[in-house]
Amino acid sequence: MRKLKARAPFNAALLITMCSAMLASCAATPPPCLSPQTRNLSHAVEDVKSNLRGGGCAAHFDRYYDELLSIAEGDPKTENKRIFSDFLVWASDDGLLSQRQARDYYNRYFNVKFTSMQGDYNNCSHTCPRRARVMLDMQRELGDKERGLLKVSLDSAGYYRADELYQEIELVLEATCTACNAGR
Amino acid sequence: MNVFRTRLPARHLPAARAFTGNRVIEFSIILSLLVSVHALAGTQAPTIRLFPTTVVEDLRQTSAVAKEMESGLQEVIARLDQQQQLYQESKCDGAEDDPGCQRLARQLGATYLDMLGIMEERLPDMEHTVNNTRLSLEKRLRSELGNKMTPWMLQETLLGGNSRETSAPSPVMRGRSGMRLSERFKRYYELVASSSSQSDQSLAVLASDIYLDMEETSELIARTREEITRATLIEQLNQSFGAITPQMMEIVGGVKSILFGDETSQIQIAGPPPGSIERAYRSPLEN
Repeated sequence: MRKLKARAPFNAALLITMCSAMLASCAATPPPCLSPQTRNLSHAVEDVKSNLRGGGCAAHFDRYYDELLSIAEGDPKTENKRIFSDFLVWASDDGLLSQRQARDYYNRYFNVKFTSMQGDYNNCSHTCPRRARVMLDMQRELGDKERGLLKVSLDSAGYYRADELYQEIELVLEATCTACNAGR
Repeated sequence: MNVFRTRLPARHLPAARAFTGNRVIEFSIILSLLVSVHALAGTQAPTIRLFPTTVVEDLRQTSAVAKEMESGLQEVIARLDQQQQLYQESKCDGAEDDPGCQRLARQLGATYLDMLGIMEERLPDMEHTVNNTRLSLEKRLRSELGNKMTPWMLQETLLGGNSRETSAPSPVMRGRSGMRLSERFKRYYELVASSSSQSDQSLAVLASDIYLDMEETSELIARTREEITRATLIEQLNQSFGAITPQMMEIVGGVKSILFGDETSQIQIAGPPPGSIERAYRSPLEN
């Protein structure tokens, strides 16, 4: 008991030091990963780049990408595609994304081809057993293509080709998988 | 630093030089072979063989058999239509005990039996040719699109090498053609026979379309054959009582729509709005 009393001033000093240290660290904490405040896509991309460059915001990449798409939807034009491509190339060069991730981010929104239709094995063994899942993923991707191709870049021909490709794949997979199953 | 350079004792140098010289020649031969193979692959994209001559011939034969069946049935169905009209105009519905109506019902039943007879006679041929075509296509689809292609290759085949261009309008629409059976097969035959002028892209869609159509037709024929025996027996019994069953009229309606198509069911699919291809931007990230 006596020992505790003797240490009381020391404990109080320790507490004060800890509190002040915490306050000081609060003051030094970088601001939270803020969303771009401008509605201009090029400026918004620069804002996002500086946030991502500072470190600590890389985990918010998905959110930033979505916000950039929303900003671009507000001012759709064909060159938006190039702005997104440049941004993703930068992200890949800066090590925020791998080459493959950058390609997937771009192609999912701005390319006619479906990233969901990938795989190293043949269709009978790889695609047919999970055909329903593949078609569902493609349907979702078609929604993203509608956003990227149609609403962001005004590429209606590209979007309608993607939609047509989706329907063709659905038909061809139905026939091919029926033929594969019949051969078992 | 040259990673291929190794230090050899002086006495081994001539042999090593000869060996290295041989290896260089070997490598240059292999390299030139690889380059030429690669160049060849670049100029001649692998083509998919979905319609060999056997499939084309099967389609032609199916069309001919369907035509025969149609012409055999056309007269009987026209007669059935007339008799049914007469039956209705004579207000025979609900007056089945009337001797005149009973006679009309028996005549109708006899014509119906004729129709079933013709179908029973012709359907095995039809079934045989449809199944032949279906099986040939099944084998081709399994091997060319199922086993030889990855999902990505299939996608590229369907896009036909140029993802920016919208493809030509689809030549067929499965199950929505609303045309005669023989006409449908004839159309298939014509499309396939001119397949050399078509791209792999539309051939894959066409083969899938025909195959799925054949699957349905084959199933339908098998079910119809099962039904015919039962329907014939029932009608033979009905002949003794002179009754016209709603099922009888339903079967006739079904046969008519299968054979001669349904004019009202033609569905047109709108084409995409014209888009500018020239402005298209191609990213270095694009696959």
